[in-house]
Amino acid sequence: MFSLKTSKFISSISRPRPWAALTTSLSSTRVSNRLPSRTCKRSYSESTGARDRSAVGVFTPAAAALFVATGAGLFYYFQYEKQKLQERKQKELESRSVGRAHVGGPFTLTTHDGKPFSDKDMLGKWNFVYFGFTNCPDICPAELDKVGAVMTSLESEYGEIFQPMFISVDPARDTTSQMKTYLADFHPRIIGLRGDYGSTKFICKAYRVYFSTPPDADSNGDYLVDHSIYVYFMDPDGKFVEAFGQSSTPEEVVKRVKKEVEEWEKDKGRKV
Amino acid sequence: MGWFSSSKPEVSIVTRQDRKQCWESRDLYFQCLDRGGVLEAGKEGSVCAKEKSKYEENCAKSWIEYFNKRRILAEQQKDLLLQSKIQAQEAKRR
Repeated sequence: MFSLKTSKFISSISRPRPWAALTTSLSSTRVSNRLPSRTCKRSYSESTGARDRSAVGVFTPAAAALFVATGAGLFYYFQYEKQKLQERKQKELESRSVGRAHVGGPFTLTTHDGKPFSDKDMLGKWNFVYFGFTNCPDICPAELDKVGAVMTSLESEYGEIFQPMFISVDPARDTTSQMKTYLADFHPRIIGLRGDYGSTKFICKAYRVYFSTPPDADSNGDYLVDHSIYVYFMDPDGKFVEAFGQSSTPEEVVKRVKKEVEEWEKDKGRKV
Repeated sequence: MGWFSSSKPEVSIVTRQDRKQCWESRDLYFQCLDRGGVLEAGKEGSVCAKEKSKYEENCAKSWIEYFNKRRILAEQQKDLLLQSKIQAQEAKRR
């Protein structure tokens, strides 16, 4: 880093042509500005020629050039360093290890095939986690289709290292059979998860998901559930990476995921 | 609001096909409302009776309420959405 500084410094000295011209003219105007008082002094002291030169002192054109060149060199050097620092900070912000949100946590739920499923079953795969309900008019199916499209695109490149999950926020009506019928229309490997009201509430809290179902919802009722509509992207260690909203396009999601997967593989020196 | 008094059994929508049917009949009904210059569903009189009965047949009550409300909201939010879109594009450019 230091050698870089000096080389930059030297290079700015070795080409001081425009500045030299500027500083010489600057110093000469300075001298000429002082001239009137000098002529006054001359009336009582004749041997001022040498003193004048010493009064001007070290401020010779060469010194001025060096001064300006050093200033300019330092200025550009610091600007360059500042920019590098900012770029590094930006990279850190984007990287997975710094400033990770505390989303997710342990849970145990039941799949749409009636098997138990816990957070441990998420490990070793990149997971897309979506919260919704089967009686959802339009947003949930659209988001699940998006997850499907993203999965297809990613798996054509990386193989089956991704796992989509659908967690019901409407446990009163979303029975395992209802979930099974519903999910048949989406990605073939999507896992539907449900639990009782308490465990639903628990996992929603862990994922910072809001949902409006009351605890005593009528299992035959015709109601809608208001809920957060993010797709949570979790890494193979079960850690949160990113939440994709409705406005993220499949292309944007794929791009972000690829970056993450590549970074992870570089970090760990292996594939999932 | 006719559908509140209807005594039809509740519509259960689980499959993609069910949803498609509901959305299509909703779109037809809303197009009919648009032609009549009516924003709020139910205020059109009897001009869209055919479309309306299809809509009620294919969609659950809760969905109908939701779509009708959203139709009004969407109209009110048109300007807001436009603004946020512009903002989002600007943010993306940065």
